[in-house]
Amino acid sequence: MNTNTQISAADREAVTAAEVTTIIGLEVHVQLQTKSKLFCGCSTLFGQEPNTQTCPVCTGMPGSLPVLNKQALKLSIKTGLALNCEIAKHTKWDRKNYFYPDLPKGYQISQLDQPICGVGYLDISDSDGAFEPKRVEIERAHLEEDAGKSSHDESGRGGKSKIDLNRTGTPLLEIVTRPDMRSAAEAKAFLQSLKMILTYIEVSDCNMQEGSLRCDGNINLHINVGGQKIATPIVEIKNMNSFRAAERALDYEVKRQLAEWKETGGTIEGAPKRTFGWDDQAEVTIAQREKEEAADYRYFPDPDLIAVVTTDEQIDAIREEIGTLPSRLRNDLVREHQLSEYDANVLVNQGRGVVDYFLSVAKTCDNSKLAINWVNQEVLRHLNETNSAIDQYPIGSDGMGDLLKRITDGDLDQTRGKDVLSAMMEDSIDAAAAIEKLGIRQVDSSELDSLCQQLLDANPKVVAQVQEGKVKALGALVGQARKINPNVNPGTLQANLRKMLGVDG
Amino acid sequence: MASSIECLLSLVNQNKMEISKLSASQIVSHIAAGELTATDCTQHFLNEIERKDPTLNSYLHVAKESAIETAQQIDARRSAGESLGALAGLPVAVKDGICTKGIRTTAASKMLENFVPPFDATIVQKLTDADAIVIGKTNLDEFAMGSSTENSAFGATKNPWNTDCVPGGSSGGSAACVGADLAPVSIGSDTGGSIRQPAAFCGVTGLKPTYGRVSRFGLIAFASSLDQIGPFTRTAQDAALTMNVIGGHCERDSTSAREDLPDFSSKLDQSLSGVRIGICKEHFESGLPDDIRKSMDESISVLKSLGATTVEISLPHSKYGIAAYYVIASSEASGNLARYDGVRYTMRFEADNLNKMYGLTRTEGFGDEVRRRIMLGTYALSSGYYDAYYVKASKVRRLIKNDYTKAFESCDVILGPTAPSTAFKFGEHTTDPLTMYLADIFTVTANLAGLPGISIPCGFSDGMPIGLQLQGKSFDEATLLQIAHQFQQQTDWHSRRPQA
Amino acid sequence: MSNAIDRKTALHVGKLARLELTDAQADASAKHLASILSYVDQLAEVEVPEDIEPFFGATESVNAVRDDEVRPSMDRETILRNAPDSDGEFYRVPPVFG
Ligand SMILES: [Mg+2]
Ligand SMILES: [Zn+2]
Repeated sequence: MNTNTQISAADREAVTAAEVTTIIGLEVHVQLQTKSKLFCGCSTLFGQEPNTQTCPVCTGMPGSLPVLNKQALKLSIKTGLALNCEIAKHTKWDRKNYFYPDLPKGYQISQLDQPICGVGYLDISDSDGAFEPKRVEIERAHLEEDAGKSSHDESGRGGKSKIDLNRTGTPLLEIVTRPDMRSAAEAKAFLQSLKMILTYIEVSDCNMQEGSLRCDGNINLHINVGGQKIATPIVEIKNMNSFRAAERALDYEVKRQLAEWKETGGTIEGAPKRTFGWDDQAEVTIAQREKEEAADYRYFPDPDLIAVVTTDEQIDAIREEIGTLPSRLRNDLVREHQLSEYDANVLVNQGRGVVDYFLSVAKTCDNSKLAINWVNQEVLRHLNETNSAIDQYPIGSDGMGDLLKRITDGDLDQTRGKDVLSAMMEDSIDAAAAIEKLGIRQVDSSELDSLCQQLLDANPKVVAQVQEGKVKALGALVGQARKINPNVNPGTLQANLRKMLGVDG
Repeated sequence: MASSIECLLSLVNQNKMEISKLSASQIVSHIAAGELTATDCTQHFLNEIERKDPTLNSYLHVAKESAIETAQQIDARRSAGESLGALAGLPVAVKDGICTKGIRTTAASKMLENFVPPFDATIVQKLTDADAIVIGKTNLDEFAMGSSTENSAFGATKNPWNTDCVPGGSSGGSAACVGADLAPVSIGSDTGGSIRQPAAFCGVTGLKPTYGRVSRFGLIAFASSLDQIGPFTRTAQDAALTMNVIGGHCERDSTSAREDLPDFSSKLDQSLSGVRIGICKEHFESGLPDDIRKSMDESISVLKSLGATTVEISLPHSKYGIAAYYVIASSEASGNLARYDGVRYTMRFEADNLNKMYGLTRTEGFGDEVRRRIMLGTYALSSGYYDAYYVKASKVRRLIKNDYTKAFESCDVILGPTAPSTAFKFGEHTTDPLTMYLADIFTVTANLAGLPGISIPCGFSDGMPIGLQLQGKSFDEATLLQIAHQFQQQTDWHSRRPQA
Repeated sequence: MSNAIDRKTALHVGKLARLELTDAQADASAKHLASILSYVDQLAEVEVPEDIEPFFGATESVNAVRDDEVRPSMDRETILRNAPDSDGEFYRVPPVFG
């Protein structure tokens, strides 16, 4: 790696994609779903009037002191457990000193050498097969307070910046991965998978528009050239504010670094890490203005806070609350509920609420296959169309289960079932009331017999076909039957017709 | 008992000026008994302040109107038969580094010249809840950094015993106002000796409680792991009375102790027989002035006559106390004072870009000593020096704490001089900051170890008071107060007053 | 440890601490830093046994936490009252690069 032999421009130019390995590590800041801030009682609600969610503590007023929110600690541990991290039994708080107007105390309370979560991992895979399933190692995850929001004058006329401290002190978990990802696609898959876990265990809403999940990436290239392996300088990319942005920014940066290296031959040796921002409009990464001096955060233990000690019992109790994680849930659905991989995936990707809805429906109607079809089609279509969440869906899992049970029992066919569902939604009534309203009733056997006789009389051609052995021809009579009596069950009808014609019982 | 109250009552009735001779405990009981009104008492101190403080400059702000108003309310409530708090009607002066809601709080810095906190410090809340009256805010070294109160941005405080001398610091205003009878009780804070050393210089009783005993919420931080709030009083008995009110767990301070708060007054009258007093040999080693040494010997004799025994102990690492202290305190201060950046608290030096605004505001807003300590602390924490300075100092701090643990195996308290000299002259130590730092040599170690210490008057040298320091075990302020009280029953150093 | 305190060092430390020092102030500061550090350097002579952990806070108690409950914030006017420059909604500061 460090042979320092000069590589000629011609050799650099000749390098192909096959000789380039992309190295990506991510730092993800996740806003934890607490009601109040990390060190004070101010609300963490998003989108309030500027500086209305502040107090002496989160504005760093002289004399104010921080007191730790225990829920933030609990959510951090929960996340750590879900990411297979070692949980620190003893953690402490450190001050990261730097000046910025949205950092009221002149330091951020963070964790330096005793992060709440130590080494862990997250397995990622790609359903389209863009990469082989792999394990991304988590280096650490630590708890810290968020800064406020600065809005700068973009006019170029040097107007004043405005500072809103509402967000100051919101709990963030900073998750740092090892440089284990080899493509932008892997990085994106990591982020998607991470988001799914975090929302599953309800530690964060991961709303990227509101900044609940923010991602920075460290990226460089390892290149095999002329029998040597060289590395390009590491670049940190900030401001990747959506999964798509992350993927595109990293993809762009791979190309940019390769082009830069071909042009200059610059390698990692002696090159300081640079910071680039992703411009989503221009679709380019842009070098950020260099700071006047290298960052020296002068970390030291925060003397206003004391250490936190967590017991095995407390950690186990939090583990109990995690429930089944998405990857495990997918397997369970396939194995125990006989869902296809595809169906299980669709379901799990919808989040815990939809999975729980499905499980409850499947249990009530005792028919997983019917339940998954209805949930993945009827329910999800409605949620998509109305852009709503499962808990806003008008029919509860009990009501849906009841409806599907009637279908399973043969009281209704699926088509009639859908009519019933519409009626249930329209009038906010249960299945029984909807059936009553639609006038659906059981057709008794003498009624059925006379209907069948009527059909057979009217369709001599079909009768002839059946008698020649084409039993399937009876299907043509179902539509006619329903015109006469919409309540007739197609299955029962066909069985009765077969009986009357004396074919296979 | 009855006769002594009658006697005092007649004293009070004879001459209002005699209020100055009353202890805080006496003031409280007279007001409770209806023999003195809170309004008269408050007015008396306001008059005294008006008369003497233009010379002394112990107050930065006198809360005349609100104090009288509160006093009248207390008197009215008493007349109406309402039950009143433990300090009902007692005027208390509060160091201006402690936040008072609606009352300007400057920490004696230009940086906070117009800062009005929208909240009360916990101790102010507790004092007010006990119906004490905040009579004013006292002077200090800027952000409590200093040992002479010469570093105040609003002029030095003078020593009531000799106005050519400093009152000590950083709580010089709080010590001087009690020493000059401008308040029966005041509140200060002690980071490296800032209560005990000025108490010694001004001839009053000053207690630095165990770290965590008194809430720091609302105390403008100098060095968070060393700062501790405590009272200045005339007697140990008054200190106990005040501690009963200001001590105790506070949910807004994470470092606040959860230990139960004892009744500090209950042990005062216990005999000293069986009490083991440790004499720290390092305190007597070199350069201690003869007068101070002599006062120590006499004080030890007094305590022995009361039944105490002595034992020689050693605190071998105490000589590194000042070095460790300056690294740790300055490092913490460099962080604590980063918030004064011209964005949120009153002072700003305008400039056309952010960094320039920061730099000019901080250079203009802070005084020399504060800037010196920020520089030292920033240096000590900066890349490459952290281990050699901050971590090493924190290890030495552990060794100092361990020395105390070992010493307290053979004694109950440790006795020695509070300071290596009596009050020095203005300007005497300002050219070389290091010599000023050494004024805290006997007091800093208790802060480093988080232990309680008390300074009481024990003699004079050239007309200036000498202080006796007692350091105690963690959360054992009661024993310090007991010994101090017993000593004050036998001596009259604490009742001597400077010429008005 | 401390022989290298010159004007340049003082200016660098000043920059970290956001203190704008003139050359004269930097020289005075360097002199003071050198003097106090030469005193503080006596810490280097203290032999610290292996098993001695640094004592960072004056208390070694643990676990001071609060429940996750929202307390009323302070009204904005009160919060902004001490600010040298605000528009009633935001704090205002000079631009980063003016
Ligand atoms: Mg961070
Ligand atoms: Zn707040």
